[in-house]
Amino acid sequence: MSNHADPTIPLNMPATPRKVNRWRKWRPYLIIAPAFLLTIGIMYPFLTAVWYSFTNYSLTRPTFEFIAFKNYRIILQDPSFWNAVSVTVRYALGAVAVEMLLGLGIALLLNQEHWLAKALRYVLIFPLMISPVIGTLIWKLMMSPSVGILNYYLSKIGIKDFPWAASQKTAMMSVVLVDVWIFTPFVGLLLLAGLRSLPRAPYEAATLDGGSAWFTFKTLTLPMLMPYMMVCLMFRLIDSLKMFDIIYAMTGGGPGDSLMNFSLQAYFNGFLYLNLAYGLAYMIILWLIVYIISQVLSAYWGKAQKRAVGQ
Amino acid sequence: MASNAVRRRLQTGISSILILAYFVFSLFPILWMIVVSLKRQSEIFTTRFIFSPTLDNYMTVLFGQNVAGGTGAIRTDFGGSFINSLIISVTAVLISLVVGVPAAYALARFDFKGKNDLAFTFLSLRFAPELLVIIPLFIIYHKLGLYNTYTGLIWVYQLICMPLIIWVVRGYFEDIPPELEYAAQVDGYSWWHVFFKVLLPLVSPGIAAASLLAFIFAWNNFVFAMLLGGAQTNTVTVSALSFLAAEQARYGEMAAASVIAALPEVLLALGIQKYLIRGLSFGAVKG
Amino acid sequence: MKGRRIIGLGLALIMLVLAGCSGSTVTKTDPAKDTKQAPAAAATGEFDWKRESGKSIHVLLNKHPYAEWVIKNLPQFESMTGIKVTYEVIPEQNYFDKVTVSLSSGSGTVDAFMTGAYQVWQYAPPGYMQPLEDFINNKSLTSPDWDFNDFYPNIMGALRWSLKAGEAVGTGHQWAIPMAFETNVLMYRKDLFEKHNIKVPKTMPELYETAKKLNNIDGSGIAGIAVRGSRNWGTIHPGYMTTFANYGAKDFNDKLEFTGGSDKGVAMTDLWAKMIKEAGPKAWSQYTWYEAGSDFGAGKAAMLLDADILGYFQDVEGGSPLAGQNKIAWAPPPVPEGHSGQVGANLWIWSLAMNSKSTKKDATWLFMQWATSKEIDLQGALQAGTVDPARKSVWENADFKKKLATKPGYYETFQTIINGVTIHFTPQPKFFETTTEWAATLQDIVGGKDTKQAMADLTKKINSMMDQAGLKK
Repeated sequence: MSNHADPTIPLNMPATPRKVNRWRKWRPYLIIAPAFLLTIGIMYPFLTAVWYSFTNYSLTRPTFEFIAFKNYRIILQDPSFWNAVSVTVRYALGAVAVEMLLGLGIALLLNQEHWLAKALRYVLIFPLMISPVIGTLIWKLMMSPSVGILNYYLSKIGIKDFPWAASQKTAMMSVVLVDVWIFTPFVGLLLLAGLRSLPRAPYEAATLDGGSAWFTFKTLTLPMLMPYMMVCLMFRLIDSLKMFDIIYAMTGGGPGDSLMNFSLQAYFNGFLYLNLAYGLAYMIILWLIVYIISQVLSAYWGKAQKRAVGQ
Repeated sequence: MASNAVRRRLQTGISSILILAYFVFSLFPILWMIVVSLKRQSEIFTTRFIFSPTLDNYMTVLFGQNVAGGTGAIRTDFGGSFINSLIISVTAVLISLVVGVPAAYALARFDFKGKNDLAFTFLSLRFAPELLVIIPLFIIYHKLGLYNTYTGLIWVYQLICMPLIIWVVRGYFEDIPPELEYAAQVDGYSWWHVFFKVLLPLVSPGIAAASLLAFIFAWNNFVFAMLLGGAQTNTVTVSALSFLAAEQARYGEMAAASVIAALPEVLLALGIQKYLIRGLSFGAVKG
Repeated sequence: MKGRRIIGLGLALIMLVLAGCSGSTVTKTDPAKDTKQAPAAAATGEFDWKRESGKSIHVLLNKHPYAEWVIKNLPQFESMTGIKVTYEVIPEQNYFDKVTVSLSSGSGTVDAFMTGAYQVWQYAPPGYMQPLEDFINNKSLTSPDWDFNDFYPNIMGALRWSLKAGEAVGTGHQWAIPMAFETNVLMYRKDLFEKHNIKVPKTMPELYETAKKLNNIDGSGIAGIAVRGSRNWGTIHPGYMTTFANYGAKDFNDKLEFTGGSDKGVAMTDLWAKMIKEAGPKAWSQYTWYEAGSDFGAGKAAMLLDADILGYFQDVEGGSPLAGQNKIAWAPPPVPEGHSGQVGANLWIWSLAMNSKSTKKDATWLFMQWATSKEIDLQGALQAGTVDPARKSVWENADFKKKLATKPGYYETFQTIINGVTIHFTPQPKFFETTTEWAATLQDIVGGKDTKQAMADLTKKINSMMDQAGLKK
């Protein structure tokens, strides 16, 4: 008997005769309803913001009018916009790439049974506990070319006066470094938890069959871990595309325009210049980019799911 | 065999070195922050590791002692903001758990119309940059009387906690083969019993990890707390930054405040460690 | 599947329209002409502090010593007037975010707030701020002791503006009352100057040479001079704009075209950037008020060209390693070679303004005049170091002069420049945008870009901004 007629009966369920009652059909929706209701309230402000972006709403003018896509047209022709695209993408790719690799590495290392790994599991999370703004300020103190501790040590190995975030050439890597410092534990923790939940049986089978650690990793660990990695990737990518706190606290967008990503442009335009509609338009575009990327990743995640289960 | 033992020793050695290298990177700034919190204002920019430590910064943060150069009239109510943060973050995470874990289960187990759309909708809440919604949200909150209230902030924090919990826990649920559930049900246990006594323990590493992360993000949130909260609902992050006073940047006090602010997170992390580890013993059950 | 999608889309559209409807009915009128509201300051009768007794007002304050002093004395105000004051103190970095969001929401929850002169150009045109002349001139609402004429006319005048973009401050409605202010001057290490027999520089070229000489003097690693450099309007506003104005350069002409790229402007900027490159702090492009001041106070910079009170705060007890050792001295800001006549300086005034939507304006006015009264200003200056007071009577007070005598050059510098102290920027609502771009351009120049080219690019950018905003005349 096929169970697909009743959507509330999970797939793979052994076929058994069961009374299909009305309530069953609505069960998943009912379960999800509270969560949905709690979070749907955000739609109204969101749509309001979308509406504003189609006007010339500026907090310095008492009235405003609908101007359709004018804001968007101006933005797309503004070189600052394309600079923002470049900055946002470079920041996100740089940060996420390093965090995923480093996070995976540290998760694997900490998954071992010797005492050091076991002890340090407890402290993995620490950087994540510092608010990003404050973490950045501490790094800023450490990175100060004149009084910072980092340059003190660097000068001992021959690198003098490293400018860190004060120079256009090195500002990006400085903020990415802070992001990596704070959020690698996020990836590490999730992947570690994932590693520890993996079923033992396939590994025992593999050991019996012989085969190198790398082979085990490639064919067993990686695919089974992939869904967890996709979740990490999605969250980190979304967050780093939107990143505001770290960059603003470190240099306020400078030097020059080297760190002016979408969020910063939106902040300056909306809050400082009070050009609210223009700032919101920036945010809407950012939201669109994030949405599209997540759709893509989500589809990929679904495939990774299936592959992992199929193991 | 001897060579195996040597190889394993070498492996342990190398991995130990790598682990240590990472943790030096990871913990040094925290150590530095603690060092800064113990320094006097006059020594923050002039000394490194050798200095005369003082607990003045902690005293000022906790008890509002007189600040040099100021009249001490503005006492940052750090204690009050600490309690506010506790109430708001804990409640927000609990609500997200109570509401989100069943939702994660439903999204994992059932196949229904709009399943992927709904799952994606939850994730998409995280897309909305805070700056995007903050001004309309501010206006609405004023109209609804939610400005500067616990309820208001707890509700907004759902945006931060819920997607994380749903998506992470969903992954763990999907990892559990359905046969396990139905084997237990066939044995005569009710669905509730199966859910609470069998399923939840299996996904406990996921729940532990997700709630810890949700708590941390809620605890450290700045934008919503600052703009939608007022003097009565000041959170710990806003309050810690207020030590960067106008006339001098009092990094020592800010660092002390951050150290104290991090304590609940540390305690929570240590507290749930055993749930993270428990997953291992259940791994043997599966497959 | 499709059906649900359509329903979802329809719902979204309905919400969108609803959201839009509620927004487009936002209109505001000039509160001074708004006759529907109860006419402001229409009170009559004898002045009486207790006339608004029983009311309660809410104030937004920036975390600042000026605010601290007011808060400390609130019990005195409350017992004198019977008005309850609730307040919120917000750290400066986020202060104006909160003010902006509060004012623009149109609610009357905030009655009074601290502000600076530049913010008037943003908040006054849309009618968020209440003009104050009617209150000041109403003898029933203003205490005879308050004495409007005790304030320096150019300081009080800096908070008057006609709302016409391009028209200088000094005319029009009075938008705020000064609490205290800062002028921008040169501060230097008296001890280092004496030790190495260095003369206090008077001109910009002299400043450049002096900074170079002091840079890393005796291998100490000290920077010649500290100035602000972050990507923020606050980088242009203090020392840079002061020197720019002393050079006789102007930011905008009558047609509101940017003229910072004039010969004088380029010459001054070029020298300024050279000074930073050769004698400035290494992380200059991250330097805000905090870094500049704390570098100077920590002995990491030999000079500081910024607000006079910044040096003052480094010198108070516990303020910095240099505190109280008589090592800091004040001097007027640099002028171009061959300059004669009044030396001027740009300024920043923390002042109190009233929300035009307040429902307790009379009570709020009582608060505002008390917070800026002679007693509060004087005692604040004496006990809490709330300098620079905006009242002449405080500067003439013997105790205050004695207190300042411990800060060499402070009083003399103030007296030298006070008549030239005003807002040297041209008021226009795009001030923050244009000045932030100016700061970014300065960063590019210090990073190596050619000065003339960079200023020309900036001119193009700003002119198109003004064009788009419909401001070019």
